[in-house]
Amino acid sequence: MPALTFQGFVRQHGKAGVRNHLLVMSIAGLTGPAAHRVAQALPGSKLVCMPYGGGLIGADQAQHMRALAGFGLNANVGAVLLIGSDLPKIGTLAQAIAASGKPVAAICLDDCGHDILTLSDRAIRAGARLHKDLSRQRRLPVPLAELFVGLECGRSDPSSGMVANPLIGALTDSLITHGASAVFGETLEWLGAEHLLARRAATPAVGEALVQAVLRREQLAANQGVDLLGNNPGPTNIAAGLSTIEEKSLGAIAKSGSAAIDGLLAYARAPATAGLYAMDAPAYSPESLSGFVAAGAQMLLFSTGVGNSYVSLLAPTIKLSANPVATQTLGEQLDFDASAVFRGAQPMDAAAGELLELLIDVASGTLTWGEVLGEGDEVVSRMGEAL
Amino acid sequence: MNKPADKSPAEPVASIALLLHADDNVATALQALVGGQTVQLQGADGRDHAVLLREPIGLCHKFALCEIAQGDMVRKYGEAIGLATKVVHAGEHVHIHNLRSSRAT
Repeated sequence: MPALTFQGFVRQHGKAGVRNHLLVMSIAGLTGPAAHRVAQALPGSKLVCMPYGGGLIGADQAQHMRALAGFGLNANVGAVLLIGSDLPKIGTLAQAIAASGKPVAAICLDDCGHDILTLSDRAIRAGARLHKDLSRQRRLPVPLAELFVGLECGRSDPSSGMVANPLIGALTDSLITHGASAVFGETLEWLGAEHLLARRAATPAVGEALVQAVLRREQLAANQGVDLLGNNPGPTNIAAGLSTIEEKSLGAIAKSGSAAIDGLLAYARAPATAGLYAMDAPAYSPESLSGFVAAGAQMLLFSTGVGNSYVSLLAPTIKLSANPVATQTLGEQLDFDASAVFRGAQPMDAAAGELLELLIDVASGTLTWGEVLGEGDEVVSRMGEAL
Repeated sequence: MNKPADKSPAEPVASIALLLHADDNVATALQALVGGQTVQLQGADGRDHAVLLREPIGLCHKFALCEIAQGDMVRKYGEAIGLATKVVHAGEHVHIHNLRSSRAT
C-alpha cells in the first residue's frame, strides 16, 4: 500500500494541522462584543465567542473547559489569542494550551483597568504579532496517519443512508487502514442500530458502553415525554422520506464503516491512541461538530440528503450528497457529488477513491465551499442549569 | 464539485427502485414514481419481484413489497425500522401514516 501524504503544518507536539488559523477566543460573555471588534481588526483570524460559562457547575463546567482548551489545542490552530474577564479562568486555559508549545496571548479585562477599549487595543496588537509570525510557516508533506476525521450527517434523507453514508464508511475504512483516526457521534442516531455497533466494539466493555449511551438518551426523551417523531427524524427528514429513528440510525451508522470501534469518548474528549471512536454527544450538527473539533479532529466529512450549509469554523468540512436533486441545485454548497452511485452509474469503491483524493486535496489547502462562504462556527454543548 | 461518472459497465443497469436486503419488506424509490405502474426489482438474494404501485411514491420514499399485517415489523437494511400501525398492502406508500418507531415510547 503506498504511503499517502498531505501537505500540512507540522506542530511542535502532536498531529499536523491542515490549516494554520489564528484563533481569537472570547471565554466570557462580557468580552464577546469586544472580541468581535478585535477579530474584525485581524482579517483572516477565526473568532469563537462563548456567551456563557461563568456559572456552569460540575460535569458541565468540566466539559466546557475541556472544549475551550480543545479548540485551542486543535492542530489547525497555529496560535491563540484568548480574551476574557477574570484571571483564574483565562490563566488556566492559557496554560493548558501553551503546554502544547503553541503561541498563546491572553488579554484579561482585570488587567486592563476594567476598560474594554484598553483590552481591545492590547488584544489587536497581540493578535497582529501572532498572525504575522504564523504566516512564516510553510506546508510540508505529512503522512495520512496524522489525520483525525470527524463523521457527521445532517438534513439526511434515505439517499444518505443508502449511498452518502456508506461512501463515508468506505473512506473511513480506508483511513483506518492507513493508520489515521476517525470519530462519529450523534448518540441518538445509534438507536435501533446499537446492536450492530456493539458487535464491532473492540472489547465487551466498549460494546456495553455504546448500548448504555443510547439507552440513556432514549430514557432522556421518554422522561420528558418527547416523541422522537418530529424531533428525530425531524420535519425535513420526514418530508424527504425517513419515517422512524431506527431507519435514520441504520443509515447514519454506515458512516463509521466496518472497522472495530476502539472506544466511546465523552464530549470533546481527545482519544489517547489512533483508531475509530464513537463520541457520546447530541445529534444536532453545530454542537456535534464542535465536540469532534475540540477532541482534535482536523477535518470533517459531512453527508446530507436535501442540503445542509453548516460547517465547522476550525476544521474544513467536506459536504457530500447523493440526492439527485440536491446535487443539481446546491452547486456552491456540496463539495462532492455522489449521485452517480445513487443512479447505479458509478461503483461505490470508485467514488470512495475520488472522495479520498478530495480529502487529501482539502487537507493540503484547497478550500471547501463552507470555508469560501464563511458558514462555520463553534459552539459548546451544555448539560444543565447554571448558577 | 467532482464530475460523477455517467456510466460504468461493471455495475448493474440502474433501477427505479432499490431493495437493500433479502429480508426487507419495503423498497425505496430512486426517482418519483407514479401510481399504477409495475416496478421490477431484484433483491439482494437475486430473486425478482414485481410490485404494482397503488399510489405515487416520492423520491427516496418507501413502498411495501408484500402485505404487512398490523403490528408486524417493517424491515429495511435487513433490520427492523418500526411496526406497521395498520395493514399495509403491497405497492402502498410506507411512511409515518402506517409505520411507527418501536422505541422511545
